[in-house]
Amino acid sequence: MDFSRGTPCATNINPEPLNHRPSHNTLKRQVTDQLVAPRDVLNYERPIKKLKSGQLLASQGMDKRHPSSFQQLEKLGEGTYATVFKGRNRQTGELVALKEIHLDSEEGTPSTAIREISLMKELKHDNIVSLHDVIHTENKLMLVFEYMDKDLKKYMDSRGSGGQLDYITIKSFMHQLLQGIAFCHENRVLHRDLKPQNLLINNKGQLKLADFGLARAFGIPVNTFSNEVVTLWYRAPDVLLGSRTYNTSIDIWSAGCIMAEMYTGRPLFPGTTNEDQLQKIFRIMGTPSERSWPGISQFPEYKSSFHVYATQDLRIFLPQIDQVGLDLISRMLQLRPEMRVGALEALSHIWFRDLPQLRQQQAQQAQQIQMGGQGSMMMGGSSGGGYGVPVYQ
Amino acid sequence: MAADYWASTQRRHWQFSREALAEIRQKLEDDDRALVQQYPLPDRRFLSHFFNLQLAKLGKKFMIRQQALATAQIYIRRFYSKVEIRRTNPYLVLATAFYLACKMEECPQHIRMVVSESRQLWPDFIISDVSKLGECEFYLISEMNSQLIIHHPYRTLQSLQNTLSMAQDDTSLAWSIINDHYMTDLPLLYPPHVIAVTAIFLALTLKPTQAGLQAAASTAAALSSTTLMPKDQPGSGNGVLNTQQKKVQNLVSWLAEGEIDIQSAVECSQEIISLYDVLEQYNEKTCKEQIGRFVKARGLEK
Repeated sequence: MDFSRGTPCATNINPEPLNHRPSHNTLKRQVTDQLVAPRDVLNYERPIKKLKSGQLLASQGMDKRHPSSFQQLEKLGEGTYATVFKGRNRQTGELVALKEIHLDSEEGTPSTAIREISLMKELKHDNIVSLHDVIHTENKLMLVFEYMDKDLKKYMDSRGSGGQLDYITIKSFMHQLLQGIAFCHENRVLHRDLKPQNLLINNKGQLKLADFGLARAFGIPVNTFSNEVVTLWYRAPDVLLGSRTYNTSIDIWSAGCIMAEMYTGRPLFPGTTNEDQLQKIFRIMGTPSERSWPGISQFPEYKSSFHVYATQDLRIFLPQIDQVGLDLISRMLQLRPEMRVGALEALSHIWFRDLPQLRQQQAQQAQQIQMGGQGSMMMGGSSGGGYGVPVYQ
Repeated sequence: MAADYWASTQRRHWQFSREALAEIRQKLEDDDRALVQQYPLPDRRFLSHFFNLQLAKLGKKFMIRQQALATAQIYIRRFYSKVEIRRTNPYLVLATAFYLACKMEECPQHIRMVVSESRQLWPDFIISDVSKLGECEFYLISEMNSQLIIHHPYRTLQSLQNTLSMAQDDTSLAWSIINDHYMTDLPLLYPPHVIAVTAIFLALTLKPTQAGLQAAASTAAALSSTTLMPKDQPGSGNGVLNTQQKKVQNLVSWLAEGEIDIQSAVECSQEIISLYDVLEQYNEKTCKEQIGRFVKARGLEK
């Protein structure tokens, strides 16, 4: 491609320059013939090589000739920096999630998008939503993700019991959440923005981490993180205190908050401001002091005037939780980051020991429902066997 | 930096054999035979050195850390393994690679600042339209298939400096050798840890006092012979060895026990030594002229 002709880059959908030169028509045809799937928009090295003109025609005009390869369906939500739509691949019929990012010529491709795309290229895991394609058009960037039915927030809202989830679902979701987190951490990636809205659920009961717009690859150095991340409610106390050297443990704190929320249907620490958030945490977890957390007074946001609360028993706030589960959540919700359990360690916690068994029972129940058809009441009083209850595969 | 190197896109998609890389480039040139013949260019290493110097100038204005500059250099090298350089304005590609690398390495700079600083450095080649840079950025991202996370040898160096009881001098010399390797094709040929080990070996043997090509050449020879060395070095000579030699011995036995591919390290060190050799003949004026010629003739700067 030439940057010379004032011709737009790969990026622009502008067939104009083609029309000036009739000799390009054959090339144009060659190029467009190859453009059958949207994948080719990004992987256009083949078309390029055919071009003698030096122009990058591959994506130009593509949308005009093949009006969008994806049928845009309803809006799914607003992400941190984009709008997400449900979509359908016109060729395969496959459902996808289309994340549209509006481009501002003032900043090129947004860093958040670049970060998300490049991380998603590296992170392939069952519990991380997968990125199929990246499509660039004149004024927007479209990320094509695998389709997931709901986010955890909507999933909880749809469950009718005030957002509370049943025991098996919580355990299955927590296990998958921690697996996704462990994978990120093993790969030296912090998510930094875990919250129910960023955890996606499909109707197979799979949970996947999404929205890596704030995620960061942590290499060296570690002391330059911005401290403006993580939605307040799930934000770790060390981050709230102004730490700029936080690490993987911030994602574990968020996971702990999410676990509590699945039990009660309500956020555990619904703070409104940084200070209020800290107070809501201290009110339950107890106000830390230099004695319980050496070095705490060095944090930029630390105030010696913090109201002093005594530590309360988490069970008061989570009456439904069992003793073993309480142990796990307490290990995740440690005020001091270095005291928080790691993702791998959490996965081997005994609370998860009966998960395979529970899943098996659940699968059997589901099967019985299917086989028994109408009328058969073989499944007893379990609330977990009906339609819509996830059966993890 | 992010993610596991072994599962990374860098290893899966951006590491080539010498033959494969040569073939890719040959194909690029064949596709543009006339253009290539019309505008001859200096040795790739001269060009890389030129880019490196230009990039350093730009980096200096923003006080950017070395790793971001290293990332930018890799982007440029990857990009030009996909696109014939004579079809581009290298100065714009340089500025864009810098801009993108800064975003990726979390030291983002404002697009206007990058354009205006680049314009000051290369007034004949950069216009003040920021959207050019934005477009070029997406061009780079696309050619690299959005695979933008780069694993550098610096991390291996940092984690090995204690294991190998390296002095600060040794480490910083190894660090500069790593900086220099971006002027070669090594980043597209070998994993970062092999590069790091090579740099350490060269740093330990190539002391500034005795710096020179002879020293370097004997280094390579010493390195090749490590494969033949017995695992445990005879301890009898210890009294005679000076500290520097001890460090080399340390490294040698560490290498002998480890799983580092010695043959690769030998090849890398030879490549780096010959880079220093070749750069003696570097002539900035020629690079500037030859790049300027095709950019201007083809109107690529507009």
